[in-house]
Amino acid sequence: MFEYALLIVAAPLVAFLLIIIFGRWTRQGGAAIAIAALGTSFIVSVILFAQVLGLGALGAPVSEEVFKYNWIGPIEFGLLIDNVSALMMVLVSFLCLIIGIYSLGYMAEDKSKTRYYAEFVLFTAGMLGTVSANNFLQFLIFWETMGLCSYLLIGFWYEKSEAASAAKKAFMVTRVGDMLLLIGIMAIFASLGTFNIVEIQARGIPAGALMHVIPLLLFAGAVGKSAQFPLHIWLPDAMEGPTTVSALIHAATMVKAGVFLVARSFPLVAASDIASITVICIGGFTAIFAASMALVAFDIKRVLAYSTISQIGYMILGLGAAALLFEAGHASHGFTASMYHLMNHAFFKALLFLAAGSVIHAVGTNDMRVMGGLHSKMKITSIAMLFGALALSGIPPFSGFWSKDAILHEVFVAGEMYGAIFTFIWVAGVITAFLTAFYAFRLWFMTFAGKTRGDIHPHESPRVMTYPLIALAVFALISGMLAVVIGGFGHLVTFGGTVHEGTMELLTEIFTSPLTYITLFAAVAGIGLAYIVYCKQRVSSEIFVSTSVGRGMQKLLQNRYYLDAAYRGFALHVGMGIARAADWFDRNVIDGVVNGSAKLGLLVARGSDAVDRKGVDGAVDGIAYVVTGSSNRARARQTGQIQAYIAAMVMGMFVVALIMLIYLSGGW
Amino acid sequence: MIPLEYELALAGILFGIGIFGIIYRKNAIIVLMSVEIILNAAIMNLVAFSSYAINPITGDPGGQVFAVLAIAIAAGEVCIGLGIYIVYFRSRKDINLEEATRLR
Repeated sequence: MFEYALLIVAAPLVAFLLIIIFGRWTRQGGAAIAIAALGTSFIVSVILFAQVLGLGALGAPVSEEVFKYNWIGPIEFGLLIDNVSALMMVLVSFLCLIIGIYSLGYMAEDKSKTRYYAEFVLFTAGMLGTVSANNFLQFLIFWETMGLCSYLLIGFWYEKSEAASAAKKAFMVTRVGDMLLLIGIMAIFASLGTFNIVEIQARGIPAGALMHVIPLLLFAGAVGKSAQFPLHIWLPDAMEGPTTVSALIHAATMVKAGVFLVARSFPLVAASDIASITVICIGGFTAIFAASMALVAFDIKRVLAYSTISQIGYMILGLGAAALLFEAGHASHGFTASMYHLMNHAFFKALLFLAAGSVIHAVGTNDMRVMGGLHSKMKITSIAMLFGALALSGIPPFSGFWSKDAILHEVFVAGEMYGAIFTFIWVAGVITAFLTAFYAFRLWFMTFAGKTRGDIHPHESPRVMTYPLIALAVFALISGMLAVVIGGFGHLVTFGGTVHEGTMELLTEIFTSPLTYITLFAAVAGIGLAYIVYCKQRVSSEIFVSTSVGRGMQKLLQNRYYLDAAYRGFALHVGMGIARAADWFDRNVIDGVVNGSAKLGLLVARGSDAVDRKGVDGAVDGIAYVVTGSSNRARARQTGQIQAYIAAMVMGMFVVALIMLIYLSGGW
Repeated sequence: MIPLEYELALAGILFGIGIFGIIYRKNAIIVLMSVEIILNAAIMNLVAFSSYAINPITGDPGGQVFAVLAIAIAAGEVCIGLGIYIVYFRSRKDINLEEATRLR
C-alpha cells in the first residue's frame, strides 16, 4: 500500500538525469527541475509519513517492504517503509528542499550551476535511497552514491587546491569506514545468506565471534560516514565546499546516514555487549573531543563542523546506551531519544549553516575575527542564528534541549546500572553541554555583537535566502515541543517496547528530575561565560592562555590533537611504503607476467606469419606467377600486326597439312 | 594436254607468292593484291581438277562454274577491301600495315 513511496527516491534520480541532459539550456542551470523534484519528494513523503503514523499510532510500528524487485538470486531490491525511514524521508526531503531554495540565492552567481544542482539532487537521492533500502546491498549502493556526491560537492570549487584536497580527504577517510562496512555486510551475508534488513533484524547473528565482529564492522562504516573519532578528520575540511553543501552534509544527509545505519542495525548492536560499549565510548568521547576543538576555531563554518561531530557523538551515545540497556533486558528510550535528537539537530544545524552562509555571503569571509556587530546590519540572519545557537545549547523551549536531555538521561540510567564508567561518560556529556553552549555563543557574539572589527560592508541577504532561514528558525523552536505535545517522541519512532506517555507526564518527568537542571545549568553557565568574555569583554579572552597549561591546551586544540598530522605522517611513511612495494610488485611481477604472455603471443604470431607467407601466400603467388609469366609471353605475340598473325596462321596450316599428310598416307 | 601436276604446281607457286606477299609486304594495296593471287591459286586448282573429271571431253562443268563464281566474289571482296582502306587512309593518312595495330 506504500507503492507510491518509490516516487520519493525516483523523483530526484530522474531530476538528476534531466539536469545533466537539459540543465544547461534552462535559465537557472536546472534549478527549477531540482526544486520541483525535491518538492515532489517532500510532498509524497509527508503523505507517506501521515499514512505510516495513521497505521502505526500507539506504538505498533509499521514495517512493510514495497516494490520488491528480484534482481539476482537472493537479492531482492525494494523499499522498507517503517516509522524510522518515513521520518527520515520527511526530514531529508524537507531540508533538501529548503536548502535547494536557499541555493537559488546563494549560488546565483556561480558559473557551473548545472553541475551543482545535478550533484545536489543525486546527493538527495542517495540519502533517500539509503534510508529506504530494504536490504544492505541496496543500502550500500546509495550510501556510496552519497560518498561520491560528497566528494564532488566538497570539491565543487575544484580550482581551489584546498577544496580539491578536502574532497580527496573526505572521500579517502570515509572509504576506510566504507570498506569495513562492506566487509561487515559480506560477513552478514556469509552467516545468514541474506541482505534483507527485516530478516536480519529478526534472525540476528548466530552466537560466536561474528556476533561481536559484525556490529563493530557496521559501526565502523557509521564512524566513517558520521565523522566520529577516529575518522572525524574529514568533516572540518569539508567546509571548503559551498556552505549549502555543508548544510546538506551536516543536517540532512551524509553524517546522518551513519546514525541511521546504527539505528538500522540496532538489534545486531544490542545483541553484543562489546559492540554496545564500543558505541557508547566512541560516541561519548567524540562528543567532548570535538566540542573542545570547536573552542579555538575562528572559521565560522569550522566551529559548526566540530559542533556537528559533537552532536552526532550524542546521538551515537544515546543509541549505544539504549543498545546496552536493551541487551540487558531493560526498556530504554535511548533509541527514541537519538532519533529525536537527529531530527532536532537536522533542523537547527541546517539553520546554523544557512545563517552562516548568509553571513559569509554578506561579508565574503569565513573568519570570525573580522566580523562582529553584524546584528544591526542583518537582523533576520542574526535572530535566526540566535535561535539556532539556543537550540544547539539546549535552552528550553528550543528543540535541542528536549532531545539532548533525553539522551543524557539514558546515559545516566545506563551508568546507574553498569557503574562508574558510564557515570564518567555522563559527566563528559554534561561538560560537552557546557562547552557546546560556550562555543555556540562565542560564535554568535563574535559574529553579531560588539563592533565590526574588519573592513567589511555587510548587507542582508535576498529573500530567497532569508525565508528558508525563517522557516528553519520556526522549526528549531517548535520541533522539540512538537514531540512533547503529542506525548513523547516514542509515538513516532521507537524500538523494542511501546511508550505511552501523556504530555503532562512527560513534562513532569523532565522538570522534576535533577538531571535536567544539571545539564541546563551547564548550558547556561556556558552561555554566561561566552557573554562575559566575548560580548561584554569584562574578561579578556587572553585569560585562557595566560598560564602555560592554557597555552599548551590551546596549541593542542588548534593542532586538532595532532591527529591530522599523525594521519598525514602515517599516510606519508607507511602508506607510501606500501604504495612503493605495490608499485615494485606491479612493475616487476605483474608486468613480467604480462610481458611474458605478450612475448609468447608474439612468437606464435611469428610462426603463423611464416606459415602464412611461405605456405598459403606461396601457393597463391605461385599461381599468379605462372599466370603472369605465360600471359606476358602470350601478350608478346599479340602485336596487333595482322601480318604476324597470318604468318602464324600459315605456319599452323602447314603443320595441320603435314599431320594430315602423315595420317592419310598411313604413317611414315 | 597439260598434265595435272603442272597445273597444281602453278597453283602452289601462286599460293606461295600470295602468302609471301601477305606476310612480308607492308603496303596494304600489295597485300590485297597478294590475297587476290592466293584466290587465283585456289581457282586454278578448281579449274585443274575440273578438267580431270570423269568425263574427259567436257570435264566437270561444276568446277568451272565455281571458278567463275569465285572470281565474281573476289571482285566484290576487293571492293570492300579497298573501301576499308580508303576509310582507314582518311583517318590515319597512311596504309602501312606495320602501323596498323590499333585493333590489338
